[in-house]
Amino acid sequence: MSFDVHLIIDSIPRMLEGLGLTLALLILSTIIGLVLAVGVLLMRISGRWFLAWPAMVYIYIFRGTPILVQIFIIYHGMPQFEFVRESILWPIFRDAFGCCVLALSLNAGAYVSEILRGGVLGVDQGLLEAGKALGLSTRQRFVYITTPIVIRLALPAYSNDFISMLKATALASTVTLMDMTGVARTIVAKTFAPYEIFIGAAIIYLVMTWFIQKAFGLFERHMSRYVKKET
Amino acid sequence: MSVVVGWLDEYFWGTVVVLKVFGLALIMAVIFGLIGSAAKLSKIRIARALANAYTIVFRGTPELLVILIIYFGSAVTITGIAQSFDPDIQFVDIPPLWAGALAIALVVGAYMTETFRGAFLGVDHGQIEAARALGISNFKTFFYVRVPQMWRLALPNFGNHMLSVMKDTALISVIGLEEILFVAEMATTVTLKPFTMYLVVALIYLAITTVITLAVAGLEKYANRHLESAR
Repeated sequence: MSFDVHLIIDSIPRMLEGLGLTLALLILSTIIGLVLAVGVLLMRISGRWFLAWPAMVYIYIFRGTPILVQIFIIYHGMPQFEFVRESILWPIFRDAFGCCVLALSLNAGAYVSEILRGGVLGVDQGLLEAGKALGLSTRQRFVYITTPIVIRLALPAYSNDFISMLKATALASTVTLMDMTGVARTIVAKTFAPYEIFIGAAIIYLVMTWFIQKAFGLFERHMSRYVKKET
Repeated sequence: MSVVVGWLDEYFWGTVVVLKVFGLALIMAVIFGLIGSAAKLSKIRIARALANAYTIVFRGTPELLVILIIYFGSAVTITGIAQSFDPDIQFVDIPPLWAGALAIALVVGAYMTETFRGAFLGVDHGQIEAARALGISNFKTFFYVRVPQMWRLALPNFGNHMLSVMKDTALISVIGLEEILFVAEMATTVTLKPFTMYLVVALIYLAITTVITLAVAGLEKYANRHLESAR
């Protein structure tokens, strides 16, 4: 039993080859997830039951099941149906990358829309009434008053969710994708040195989380620059 | 749906395994969380530094990677030790159930550390001073004064952590634990109905998370009952 530090240093560049895929999964699914989340949020706060209920069911299902199960249902499960295999979406369902992006985006959509809803509920009613008194239309009030405040209120929770998404991309390695965890698992299968390789991978993930946290911290400061600081 | 019926007993025992992992991991996570938050709030600098390192590392590493490190890492270590006694031994591992439960507990324990820390800070400091003035020992103050008051504050986040523990149990199928996702994989190879089989898994998880959510809501009502009557 020995601990080989050189193996960590040697394996990190090889694992960085998987970094591209991890980042592609992360960025694509957060963007699609954010768009979905805004849509679901609008349905949820629309005040019409036929829009709000489907949104609530969607959030309930995707927050109540593990992401791994969602990935398996989409990747292994969907091809069970003839109509999926014959539809124009088949290239997405056939491809492990497409399936992972789909699963992660759907998952992110559910979580982020709840975060955004918390932000919307946190907007001071007085501001909206002031907007109404100034003659702003509902749409103008939403775009110019609610949205900037929601971004500021939702950022801390959103940065946590972003990091959860980064951690969730590691699940792509279970459906044959060669992301960082996938590469690490192949190296371990060859060298059988789990400590060195997996800890090397963990270090890369930790550095990425650190960067994400710093970046969100700066953005948060920028968004709340006009808020009076409590000293 | 009739294909599922033949597998119902397998799913049942899989669910039992999931609940076992859930219970074990939750107990360990609470212990890690309490130790971590006590260390973070202590006056000893080394304890604080260790607790900070713990939360940073385990909140930034994907759960899947932690499970792989603990399972394969411990397997290599134990095999190495066993081989020094008896060179004929090929492979020894700690059971996936324990390795998985420990890994999940380490990750969720890091999140619980933060939750408990915030909740401990929420307890009125006068209470602790009063306990000290009455000559109650530090140990008793912790369990009879601080914990009963902090758990009410920690409950909403604690409920979310319980859900994460539940959903993370799905990952343990990766290291070969025979839980429901593993059962679904086996059932798929026989019946060639992946969607149906994985859907059953999703429904089981959805049912369990629903029960947890309802239970936490009930507990919250119970914990805040003195506030209800005061209103």
